[in-house]
Amino acid sequence: MIRLEKVYKSFDGKAALDGLEFQVDKGEIFGFLGPSGSGKTTTIKMLTGQLKPDRGHVEVFGQDVSNVTRPDLLQRIGIMTDNSNLYPRLTVLDNLNLYRSLYRVPIRRVKEVLEIVNLEGVEKKKTATLSKGMKQRVLLARALLHEPDLLFLDEPTAALDPINKERIHEGLRQLKANGTTIFLTTHDMQEAETLCDRVALLNGGRIVEEGAPVSLCQRFSDPIITIELKGGQVVTFENARESAKAIHDYMVNDQIVSIHTDEPTLGQVFIQVTGRNLA
Amino acid sequence: MITSIQRIYAIFTKDFKDLTKNLYVSTTFLLPLFYAFMLGRGSGMDSAYFLPLMVNMTFATVGTYIQSAIIAEEKENGTLRGLMLSPATTLEILTGKSVLSVLCSVVVFVVSLEFFDGPMTIPSAAWIGFIIMTIFYITLGTLVGLLSKSLMESSIFILPVIFILGMGTMFRDLMDEYAWFKVVEWMPNYQFEQLFQASDTSTIVAAIGWMIGWTALVVVVTLWLYQKRSFDE
Repeated sequence: MIRLEKVYKSFDGKAALDGLEFQVDKGEIFGFLGPSGSGKTTTIKMLTGQLKPDRGHVEVFGQDVSNVTRPDLLQRIGIMTDNSNLYPRLTVLDNLNLYRSLYRVPIRRVKEVLEIVNLEGVEKKKTATLSKGMKQRVLLARALLHEPDLLFLDEPTAALDPINKERIHEGLRQLKANGTTIFLTTHDMQEAETLCDRVALLNGGRIVEEGAPVSLCQRFSDPIITIELKGGQVVTFENARESAKAIHDYMVNDQIVSIHTDEPTLGQVFIQVTGRNLA
Repeated sequence: MITSIQRIYAIFTKDFKDLTKNLYVSTTFLLPLFYAFMLGRGSGMDSAYFLPLMVNMTFATVGTYIQSAIIAEEKENGTLRGLMLSPATTLEILTGKSVLSVLCSVVVFVVSLEFFDGPMTIPSAAWIGFIIMTIFYITLGTLVGLLSKSLMESSIFILPVIFILGMGTMFRDLMDEYAWFKVVEWMPNYQFEQLFQASDTSTIVAAIGWMIGWTALVVVVTLWLYQKRSFDE
């Protein structure tokens, strides 16, 4: 669905993308994680035909993105980035109706996308009067209108409360089930862990780690088992195999309150790999 | 590639709704009507001067300004990139965004004729000139809008357009006094006026040639700038 090979891009002599390479398969939710200025937006702009690489190959739908005519490419993709915006003097319905006509989709689709983003009943409101979170949901609804094969979402739930965030996640899972490929950037590590099939950690314009969130966390976990015993004592074992007998004895003697392994979160993995925080 | 009337109409409808809620821009209708009122009734002005003057003033003040304002505001709000990232073609977007400016200009021009009470003669060449000037002024508005960063900036950039193209021919008498003022003769608004006043074919052909040249230049620069604005560098 998406393939980048040795992609380089610099602005004023400073490298934004430094030999970026990755692939996204059809039907995946792919998380693209990195701190501000790591090249996420630059990558999305290249994949949507807004920016040309200095060197390298950018492929979308099996074709070099520079060879795809823009209307054909844009009919199949949905975009919601941080610089997307709405017409403030117009209502939610007017905003969505404009794009419904541009994408030539039936009128019933407006109602469907408003349900997905949990915005039924606000159709007649001017977008200038909406909260930031509601505007974000209208923008997401707009990106979903034409049921795109490939969806680019830049921080889609950044301004949302947990309930609406979960509602959006449900909608995105439903889209994935229907075969939509989703390319997602987020600072929310919990969102990436629960939503994405695979994630790529971006630092300094190149991918430093890539894989399923669970396997990445496991790969970077210390093999430490922590056991809390009755009476408040806590014991740790660095090697489970060698400590099996001791753990077995605690269990037989009914001394264990809790037992757990110490796995890092995706955010901690990122710090381990790059030495930087995601924020 | 088939041009979609549905898309053009959708963009026009959006702009129409937006303009009706934007008093700042829609009040520009009043300026040409004020001049028509002052120059039309009882002034004894010949229609060969009144008509081209009103076309130039209306299209420069209403057409070019509204066009530049709606493009500049889209840029300022970040919504123009949204349109550029939709499957609508450049032709569909620019045509859709021009329909409202053309309609407003035509309506204001027709209303301004109500203030003229003399006999009215429109030579056939003037109709050709009218079509060329419509394309020229609206495209010029798009260009000004693309060059502006905000609605406010476009309001400033448009002032020389209104002064030189909308009112330039009013200062015809200065040509005899100041030689440098003869540059006005190269302007499309002056050439358009020639279509009403000249009787020899060579002058009419030359005037249409000048107007086509100016229009082609503005169209090429506008399309180049629009394409440039579709991409980041």
